Amino acid sequence: MELDQDIYNDLANIVGEKNISKDPVITVNYAYSFGSEILCERFGIEKSNFAYAPLAVILPGSTAEIQKVVKLIHERGLKFKAQSTGLGPWNNVSSEDVIILDLKRMDKIRKIDAKNLYCVVEPYVTGATLQAELLKLDLNTHMPGAGPQVSPLASSTSMFGPGFTSDVTGYSARNVLGVEWVLPDGDLIKLGALGLENKPDWFCGDGPGFSLRGVMRGASGAKSGLGVFTACALKIFPYPCDPKWNISGVSPNYEFEIPNYMEFHIIDYRDFDTLEHALYRFTEEEIGFMVNYSSGMAIAAIFSRDRADLIRKATKYLVLRKPICLLICARSKREFKYKQKIVAHIVEETNGKDMTAKGRIVPRSQCYVEALRSMLGIHAFLASGAFTSAFGGMDSIGVTITMAKLNIPIKMEYIKKKQLADDGGEGIWLQSYEFGHYAHAEMPSMYDKLNPESKQGMREYVMRTNQLIFNKALNIPFSVDGDMMHDIWGPQTCNYHVWLRKIKEAFDPNNTSDSGFYISPSAALKKKKKRN
Amino acid sequence: MPLEDYRDIMERCIRCSLCKWIPQIQIKSQRFATICPSIEEFNFHNYSGGGRMITGLALLVKKIPFNEKLLEVVYTCTECGGCDVSCKNLNDLEPLEVIQELREELVKKGYGPLPKQQKYAENALKVHNPYGDPHEERFNWLPDKVKLTPGAEIGYFIGCTSSYRRQELARATVKVFNQIGVEFTILSPDEFCCGSPLYRVGEVEKAKELMRENIERIKKAGIKILITSCAGCYAMFKAEYPKVMGEDLPFKVLHTSELIENLLNEGKIQFTKKVPMTVTYHDPCHLGRGSEPYPKWEGKIVEVVPLIKIPMPPKPKRQGTFGIYVAPRNVLKKIPGIKLIEMERNCEYAYCCGAGGGVKAQFPEFALNTSKRRIEEAIATEASTLISCCPFCKTNLQEGIDALKSDMKFYDLIELVERAL
Repeated sequence: MELDQDIYNDLANIVGEKNISKDPVITVNYAYSFGSEILCERFGIEKSNFAYAPLAVILPGSTAEIQKVVKLIHERGLKFKAQSTGLGPWNNVSSEDVIILDLKRMDKIRKIDAKNLYCVVEPYVTGATLQAELLKLDLNTHMPGAGPQVSPLASSTSMFGPGFTSDVTGYSARNVLGVEWVLPDGDLIKLGALGLENKPDWFCGDGPGFSLRGVMRGASGAKSGLGVFTACALKIFPYPCDPKWNISGVSPNYEFEIPNYMEFHIIDYRDFDTLEHALYRFTEEEIGFMVNYSSGMAIAAIFSRDRADLIRKATKYLVLRKPICLLICARSKREFKYKQKIVAHIVEETNGKDMTAKGRIVPRSQCYVEALRSMLGIHAFLASGAFTSAFGGMDSIGVTITMAKLNIPIKMEYIKKKQLADDGGEGIWLQSYEFGHYAHAEMPSMYDKLNPESKQGMREYVMRTNQLIFNKALNIPFSVDGDMMHDIWGPQTCNYHVWLRKIKEAFDPNNTSDSGFYISPSAALKKKKKRN
Repeated sequence: MPLEDYRDIMERCIRCSLCKWIPQIQIKSQRFATICPSIEEFNFHNYSGGGRMITGLALLVKKIPFNEKLLEVVYTCTECGGCDVSCKNLNDLEPLEVIQELREELVKKGYGPLPKQQKYAENALKVHNPYGDPHEERFNWLPDKVKLTPGAEIGYFIGCTSSYRRQELARATVKVFNQIGVEFTILSPDEFCCGSPLYRVGEVEKAKELMRENIERIKKAGIKILITSCAGCYAMFKAEYPKVMGEDLPFKVLHTSELIENLLNEGKIQFTKKVPMTVTYHDPCHLGRGSEPYPKWEGKIVEVVPLIKIPMPPKPKRQGTFGIYVAPRNVLKKIPGIKLIEMERNCEYAYCCGAGGGVKAQFPEFALNTSKRRIEEAIATEASTLISCCPFCKTNLQEGIDALKSDMKFYDLIELVERAL
């Protein structure tokens, strides 16, 4: 399928000739992602590193241009898909008739309101660049686990949004305030206080009148299945410690001058019961800038510089049984002492072993700066070069621990068959939220992307664990997107899919906004089923 | 290594986009956070280190044709190596090697390099300099009073840009050498282009001819230490010659900044004149990250535990760690009156001047835009003067200064040394 030259010309008139391409050299690049082969399987096309290529790629530079582009695509009966920083297979198009809007040129921090603690960003502002500007004001931002190089706007409007510092910086869905949103027909809608007639501003995400925040993103975002978000306001937070940022050395041997009042604790527990109790206690006391449970292998990975370093460290970390990774930060000596005392108290109360206090684990200084900049998640790719998160979800700490327990025997089967890398079956990222009893969990599993048996094992493992949580009514898989998944999980979960589809139909009856990772309107779904 | 041999590496790119930025933990502002001039100019993902690895993979599996757009994507890279440093800060992929290999592949298939790059390459072969100027004029800049020492162990390799376009640097260098008592010789009339204009655009076989010639002539002249004042020549001799020729060079290679630093440290020279100036220093890509030699490694990739493979014995990563960053700064700091303020992007994650990799020849507007971005960063330091150690950087950065109508001054380090002695 090729884009009609007249449509191409019309689009080029909007964004300028240098900001559009339908050359296969350009478009095929956008067919690649680290999960392309899985996408090919899902789309029923030949398995390769390249799934569907878009008809064209456009680089709009403003909201006005996006409106015109979207309107034109809508009028001509084509589809579009917007992407910002583009990490992950959900950025791919799901059919051949889709034009990608790469929002790379939309990279302005429109506003930082230090007094009212919010900022306004465009899609291609990254977590690290935003944090760097906030740091100058002694402020901080929430960054999703995917890392500092991804878009906070995308995370907040269109994705999940858990992060390593979620206890303090929340969850992307809860941090988004006013939103500027181009609907699938090109109309512009302004959410929250931005929609006020008098003195519109970005400070509130709800109203006027009823809130559309849930419609906009729901639990896990529409992944560009419901238009384009061109700017949004985000809550910002006080910086957790001394904002000095001194790094010496040459890559990769960086030394970070650890700010005053910052301390990692790796606290090991003998079993899930003591771990669960400890997680509740640490979050109740509201002392952690970062509180999570991962496998010993995962902690070795986040504390390692590279794969060889990981292998060197692994032996020491694999003896950990149920470790909590806790980072405490404070703004004063008094606050810091208080937090240290609480840590010591809880460790004693819960029969934990503080491996860092005992000097058995000493994180490099770079681990501290990577924690502050949320660089830890990307370490998940270190061991085998690829990972996928299987099931998980948000629930009470107790339920997420149950998920972890049930996961182990299934995962071990694939580890024994050498299809998944060995993390003792305990590869989990269990991250508490906002000092509540609530947590996000997902089961990152390491596999070898270039090993067919490993890939097959990974697929089987994900399908089996999906079935497991379906049978046990344990939340939904980590990633439920696309018609097939929604139609499986909807009936299990209060028939939410019926309502989700109604939202799509109301906002995008013609299915102009690629619904491959969201949900299709009924008419489009029927057409698809008929075709298949 | 043929492109096919990089297949695993290309397939392991997770498209994380780390290659577009300086190492994440070094980001100090939004304005100066990027590392790749190409993606900054052209915006499509293809124009990043990762995007070019995906392009390489697409070409390998025949998903894309050899066409003009492919040539543009592959050749609008300054080969500054910034993506490589950022990627390898954590990963072990080889974006820069893949980009070089893509160029070699295009040459092998008869598509590359691009016409203006081709012209430079032809000139380098025919008249031994890319500018096409007569070879016999190569040493026209040489002042009459310069004392040369035929048979000296130290040889000064001037390079094409200093010989024909930035002669003030060559003159300053020989004057400094005379003043500080360095006995040296030159390869007159036998100095040929170092091969960079050929090598960087993928014409490796032709570059080899020049490499072979130069090695032979340097050996014949009895040179034991070769000094270059050009970052481009330095990186070629230090890193690419041993890699391409497959053997260690029979002489040591030093940049002028290293030589001066050594002499200062040994107390053999000292600066006597004050040069009151607030300066900032631009790390040339080819003196910094690009000058790091390719580590020698013989071994194999071993699956140490299921699905986790590492090179055995450990394979050192070439990631800019051992580039020349300290020497020029130490020299600058020892000049009385100089105050050095660093740009946000410096050392191994310095932003490129925009000229390298055949870009200035073929894409002058892109080269100028990149230069302007770097000058804006220099201006932001509030320094009055920009210093660097490369004639090619000087040419492009000076054009950036002029285009911005800035009153910033530009000097090569050797020009300041000359003033301070």
